[in-house]
Formats: sequence, structure tokens, C-alpha cells
Amino acid sequence: MNYVKAAISGILLLTIIIALNLKLGPLPPVGKFVDPDGGFWANAETTSPGSGELNLPGLEGDVTVYFDERRVPHIFAENDHDLYMAQGYVVARDRLFQMEMQTYDAAGRLAEIIGPALLERDQQTRRWGMPYGAEKAMEEIRKDPEMYAVISAYAKGVNAYINQLSPADYPLEYKVLDIAPEEWKPIKTTLLLKNMTRTLAAGNAEEATSNSIAFFGSDFIEKYFETKPELNDPIIPPSRTWDFEADLPEAPDSLYVSASAEELPAFEMPEGIGSNNWVVDGSKTASGYPILANDPHLHLTLPSIWYEVQLHAPGVNAYGVSLQGVPSVIIGFNEEVAWGVTNVSADVLDWYEVKFKDDTKQEYRHGGQWKPTTTRIEEIKVRGGATVLDSVVYTHHGPVTEVSSSTGDEKDPVYHALRWIAHDGSNELKTFYGLNRARSYDNYVDALKHYIAPAQNFVFASNEGDIALWVNGLFPKKWKYQGRTVSDGTDPKYDWKGWIPRDHVPHIKNPERGFVSSANQESAAPDYPYYLDDDFAPFERGRRINDLLREMENITTADIQKMQMDDYSYYAATLLPGLLEWIQKEELSEAEKEVLNVVQNWNYHMKADQLAPSVFRNWASNFYRSVFEDEFERTEARLRWPPRDRFVEVITEESEMSFVDNVNTAETESRRHLATTSFKETLQEMTDAYGSFGDDWKWGIVINNDIDHLARIPGFGRQDLYSSGNYDAVNATRGKNGPSWRMVVELGPEVKGYGVYPGGASGNPGSPNYDSMVDAWRTGELFELNFYRQAPDTFLYKMKLQPSDSE
Amino acid sequence: MILALAILVLAFLLNLLLPWWSIAIPGLIFGYVFNKKGRASFGWGFLALFLLWGGQAFYIHIANDGVLSSRIAEMLNAGSPFAVILVTAVVGGLVSGLAALTGSLANSSPRLSSRGK
Repeated sequence: MNYVKAAISGILLLTIIIALNLKLGPLPPVGKFVDPDGGFWANAETTSPGSGELNLPGLEGDVTVYFDERRVPHIFAENDHDLYMAQGYVVARDRLFQMEMQTYDAAGRLAEIIGPALLERDQQTRRWGMPYGAEKAMEEIRKDPEMYAVISAYAKGVNAYINQLSPADYPLEYKVLDIAPEEWKPIKTTLLLKNMTRTLAAGNAEEATSNSIAFFGSDFIEKYFETKPELNDPIIPPSRTWDFEADLPEAPDSLYVSASAEELPAFEMPEGIGSNNWVVDGSKTASGYPILANDPHLHLTLPSIWYEVQLHAPGVNAYGVSLQGVPSVIIGFNEEVAWGVTNVSADVLDWYEVKFKDDTKQEYRHGGQWKPTTTRIEEIKVRGGATVLDSVVYTHHGPVTEVSSSTGDEKDPVYHALRWIAHDGSNELKTFYGLNRARSYDNYVDALKHYIAPAQNFVFASNEGDIALWVNGLFPKKWKYQGRTVSDGTDPKYDWKGWIPRDHVPHIKNPERGFVSSANQESAAPDYPYYLDDDFAPFERGRRINDLLREMENITTADIQKMQMDDYSYYAATLLPGLLEWIQKEELSEAEKEVLNVVQNWNYHMKADQLAPSVFRNWASNFYRSVFEDEFERTEARLRWPPRDRFVEVITEESEMSFVDNVNTAETESRRHLATTSFKETLQEMTDAYGSFGDDWKWGIVINNDIDHLARIPGFGRQDLYSSGNYDAVNATRGKNGPSWRMVVELGPEVKGYGVYPGGASGNPGSPNYDSMVDAWRTGELFELNFYRQAPDTFLYKMKLQPSDSE
Repeated sequence: MILALAILVLAFLLNLLLPWWSIAIPGLIFGYVFNKKGRASFGWGFLALFLLWGGQAFYIHIANDGVLSSRIAEMLNAGSPFAVILVTAVVGGLVSGLAALTGSLANSSPRLSSRGK
């Protein structure tokens, strides 16, 4: 009798243990997860970190890492090898999950660790040729023994960390997902860099532009995309002259018309992915030395994309922020120079419509011949599912994607090949390696030569007093507007024909006006002979920065800090006067008039404590929509929406702008009508969302500023951060995007740096350090950066790393 | 009482070295050795790990200022860090209680009313 009972009880026990050890759905394995010794509780930081010594097999000499009060590591090594090995070790210690997650994503391997839900994303990643591009980059780096040594040493450091982990030590996210870290291979560094190219240089609107030409005619494109607003203020000042002849490729006689209404896997860059940087020279500063500022705007996550670090070894002493997975400092300064970056949205991604000979896709038409394709088999492992094999066909343009018809007709499939700068072998690491060691303008120019993508506006300042900006990257030489529409894959005239020569790339050194700046706007004035793109950021941030810098004198770092938090909205300043003029006050209720009154008395600053910014932003977007939506809704095809800065200009100047009339109604609408109805609609929507007009309408709340966890694990992010700013303001905080690192550096005999990012050094959600700088970031506070010339005497703690065979 | 204490001490030691499910081993051993009635075996076994895991979790929660337990509470939609501590304690208790029960049932020798006091 007892045996039966014992057996039942035993089976029940076993079943419960097995169930609690299994990952069920999104939940981690419960028993394993709650175990106080090996589960998530083990990741709770319960004591302050203390100093210690550690053997690292493979080190050549001793390395000491000093952690300051914000836990920023200052790595002091005796040679390059040890420096980068220690960087790999230290970064992995703080950010291992982030490093792995980002490279799994770049390699199209997310389904392998998460499951079938991510398969589609992985397939797109593969079809875009991300792993292919990373392999090409790796080939390039192998040819450069110095850089290969750097990434190998870094990988060695990361693996040294991984190898000493027991499952109880795994970072928290590994326990949530029930996975283990894998070996870090050098190619992961190139994958990570390709991921940045995807984030920053994959914007394309080929299909939308082709469709818009078909639907609205080329006048529409000319009016809204080719004509730039009066207020446009290019990065390279228009006073710059170009003393060269551009050797432009020949354009086709007539523009190719693609199989329209087909959907390309478009990548629309969200507003807020952009950046600011500027440098003022000594003539404008109180100290007489240049001051450099940079705030790259990205999708914000916890842990932050950036990690502060100081790298000190013979021949190098650099401080700044690094990307997890890439050796060296990416944005920062050393004893002699400082540098920063913003994105250049040049068109380095084109789609080609491909004609195959037959269904086997073994040959395609190009230049009047049938040419052979190649095929790359992508093997995608799927957690909890069968491995998926995906054959990706390559033409000389690049990988081919089958395009589904959005009209649903029974048509022949359409194929598009992708030509993308990310497929070119590259060695960007050499640029950062060089910048970390640069001592002069010439060193900076030398370092920039090696850089291909994603193209960046590199600003520069030196102790010698030089300031400079290079619109830096490898740009295909194109005929005007080449690649803005879907290209003809059979006609060689659409192929990329070489590159803009190095000396012809837009750049400027020590301009008369005493400053350089960039905010993703157009690179150069219309007289610049090469075509880069027709779609740069609106003029707003760039112009505001230049307005301010032109007026400023005796500038201090405090002035520049304040400027980074500037929240003046050019969009409001240009559109609101019109809206207020057009709105029909007699049609408003008393309550609506009260709101209008607040908006009327507003100074266009997007301040958290004010109500007017919230009303304006929603009103402006409803107004914009009411102008265009009726026309745009008449087709299923994706169309290109006019940029808001040009829109404001046209609607202000033309009372009879054709889009204003609603095509769905019998009467003829006017700006007055749309301004009034969109205002009423806005107040109704906001009342529904935030209650009646009052404190709950403050911009700091309506801005809806969240920083989610990297893998969007609930509870691991920070929600509803009350803050000022907007994407058309210098302080481009908005929604989930914004300044991911704010840095101000004053050059001089004692270079001084200030900085903050929304996060903390530690990537462990169980550490108070994890999000320790978020509030300082939110309010615009910068920390003085501890840049040591020699090993410091005071520090929070230090870690001594030694070769394992030493005594 | 002694049964619970014995399980608690051995489970604590085993858990330091072995995977989490090792907490079932003390229940099986001492449940058999002490050979109490089913209900009592389960109860003491449950209590031992409820106190051990719950206590450890509570200690970590305090030492960590609740930074992690609050995040996990939000992740699991558990409402409060204390619910997370309670889940931890109950999971430990359940496994250990069942183990002690199984151990006692597996012992076929006659149960003396005076044993195990």
C-alpha cells in the first residue's frame, strides 16, 4: 500500500521538478529562476564592489583597471595587446548580454535563442546580406595584421570572462531566457559595426518615390523633395567653394519605371535617429581653446548603447564612449584632440529590379547578356523548432528579395536586388584606432581615410587650435537623383560607378565663421557637384545651432552644456503663426479659446512644465494629416510624405495649395477650415487621453519618454521620464529616442571633458548603478569626466589583471 | 521540528554546490529516516525550504534595497517584491515537502508513535 503511495508521491515530485526546470512560454524555468543561490537572486548586487586581483591567461604584462565613483573603468596597460584584451574583459563583465544580443541580431540568429517569433526578422537580416557583409569586412581586417591583432586580443578578453562564469554567474537576462553565453569570435566585432550601418545607413524610399512619381507626377517630387526650404543651412557653409571638376557618370535617357505598387522591405528611419555636433574655435571661447560638443541621437535602451572607458597604454591615452563589441573609443578625446560624429544620410542603398532568365534564377539579364547568379544558403536555427534553410540568390548588385504584390493580383513575381554599402569590405576600426592616437589635424585626416560606413560627419578640434569637419564615408558616384527610385537591374547605367574621390568629399577646416556644426541636414550647398541624396534631416536643428553659435562669444563649457539642452522648436516658430492666423476663433467654444490663448502666448520652447507644446505638437500633426491624408489614402501603394519643413514653407506661402482641399467632400476646404477643425479634433483627442485641460497636459508627460530594456523585458527599463525637448529641437529627446550620449570637451593644456548617457556602466538590472545616470541625463546635468594622465591615487576600487603564469 | 532543521541545513549546503533541484535530496533522506506520518513529513519539509529560500530571498531583497526584486515583480506582473519572495519560498517549500513525503512513504518499517520526537 505504502509503495503505491510512495510511487505516486515520487512521480509527482519528479514531475514538479521537471516542470519547474523547463522554460514554459515566455516564463523562465521557475524553480531554476527563483533559486536564491543560482537563479535571479544571485544577480542582486548586495555589496559595493571591492578591489581584487585576477589571473588572465594570455596577458603579456600586468594591467590595472581603476574604477571611478561612477564605475567608469580606466584601463592602464603596458602594450596594445593587453589594453584591448582588458577592454574586452571589462566590457564583457559589465555588458555581456548586450554584446551577444546585438551580434545575434546582426547575424540573423535571434530565433536561435528566442524562438520562432524572431524567424522573420532573421530572414530579413540574412536577405539583406548582413552576415555576408560582416564576412567581407572580416576578410578586409585579416589583410591588416595590426587591426586583426586588436580584435583578436579583444575577443580573447571577452572569452576569458565568459570562460570563468558558472551558470549562477550568468547575467540576469541569460537566466530569464534560459540560455548560455557562447564563444566570442572576432567576426562579432564586424557584425556589430554592420549593425550600426543598418541602424544609420539603411534608410531608403525607392519604392515610395517611384510610386509618388506615378501617382502625383514628377512635379510633386520636384516641389516637395528637390526644392529645399529657404531656411536650409547646409553643414558645409555655402561660402565654401569647390575647386575641382566632378566626373559624373552618364544618366539614362529616361527614368526606369518599376513594377509599381510592389512592396519593398522598406526601412524608415524613425525621427529622433539623428545627432548634433559642433566645435567652436579659440576666437569664440573664453579660454582661447576650441570646445567640441556631440550628442548622437539613437533609440534609447537600458543598458545604454554606450559605455564610458579610458584606454591608457604607451602611445595612447583616450577617453570617451565605446560600442559594446568594438575595441577602442568611438566618440571621445585624448590629450591633444577631440572628435565626435553625427550621421550622414547619404543614399548608399539602392534597389534594382532584376530580370531572371527562368524560374531557376541561375541567370539574370544585365548589359544585354545573361549573367550567372550565385546562391548563398542561410541556415537559421530556431529554438523549439526545425532549422530553416533559406537560399538567397546574389547578382553582382547584391542579394535578391522576392517582392510581394500589395495589390494582390496574380502577377509574375518581382525580384529586387539590394546594392548596399554594408556589403563592401571595410575596416572602420582602423579609423577609431587612429583617432584614439591622433595628435593633429593630419593624423585625423589620415584616420578618416579608412572609414566606409555608416558615413558620419566627423567633427574635430585640436590643442593646436584647428577645428574641422569631414562628411566622411565612402560615397558612390551617382548621376543626379540616381537610386532614389527603383533602379533598372538590366541597365549598367544604373550601376554604381566608382566612388567620390577622397579629396572631393565635403569637408572644411578652420572656417572664417569660427565654428563647424552638423545636425544631419544637407551636407553641402547646391553648388557641390556630386549627388549624395535628396532626403536629409529638416533644417530645424542645424539652423538653430548655427543661429546660436553665430551670436555667442566668450563661450564656456557651461554655455555649450546649456545649448545641448536648448528646446526651441523651429517647427513651431515657422508653422504656429500661420495656424493662429488661419484658425476661425468665432467657431471655438469658450473652453477651446482658453486653450488657444495659452498657445498664443507661448515662446516655441518645448519645456516639460508647459501645456502649449503638447497642444502644438498634436495640432500640427493633425493639421498635416488633414492636408495630405485624403489624397494619400486613395491608393494602397506606399507614397512619400513631404518633409515638414518644406510643407510649412509651401502652405504658408500658397493659400491655394492644392492638397488643402479634401477630395472626399463636395465643398472646397481652405487652410482656415483645416486649422480650425484640426484644432478642435486635437483638443477632443487630448481630453480623451489626458482628461480636461490642465496639469496633465504638460509636455513632460505628453512627450511620453520611455527607455526600454534592450530585449524589452518588462520592469528592466525606465518609463515616463518627465523631460523637455523634441526631435526638431537641439535637445532631441522624444518618445523612445534621443541624445544617447552628451559630451562637451574643452581642449587646452589640461583637456577637460564632461558627459552623461541615460544608463550606467553596469548592465546588471540588479545593480543600483544600472540606471544611475538617467535622472542626471533627463535634467541636462553633465558629469566631469576623470581623465587621468597617470595612474590615479583615488578611485572606488581597482582590479589587477595578471598573466596566469606570473607568481 | 528537528526534521525541518535537518532538511534546512543539508539543503542549504547542497544548494551551494549543486543545481536547484538538489533541495529535494534532504527531504527524501530525512523523510525516510524520521519516518513521520505523511502530513507531518510534508509540513516539516515544506517549512524547511519555505524558511530557507524565503529567508535568503528576503535577506537579498533588503541588502539590495529591493532594486532587483522590484524589477522582477514588474516582469512577472507579481505586484510587489514581497510576492516574489513568497513565490520563491513556496516553490522551495513545495519541492521539499513533496520530497519529505515521498521519503516517509518509502519507509515501510512500522512507525512507532514515539519516534522522531
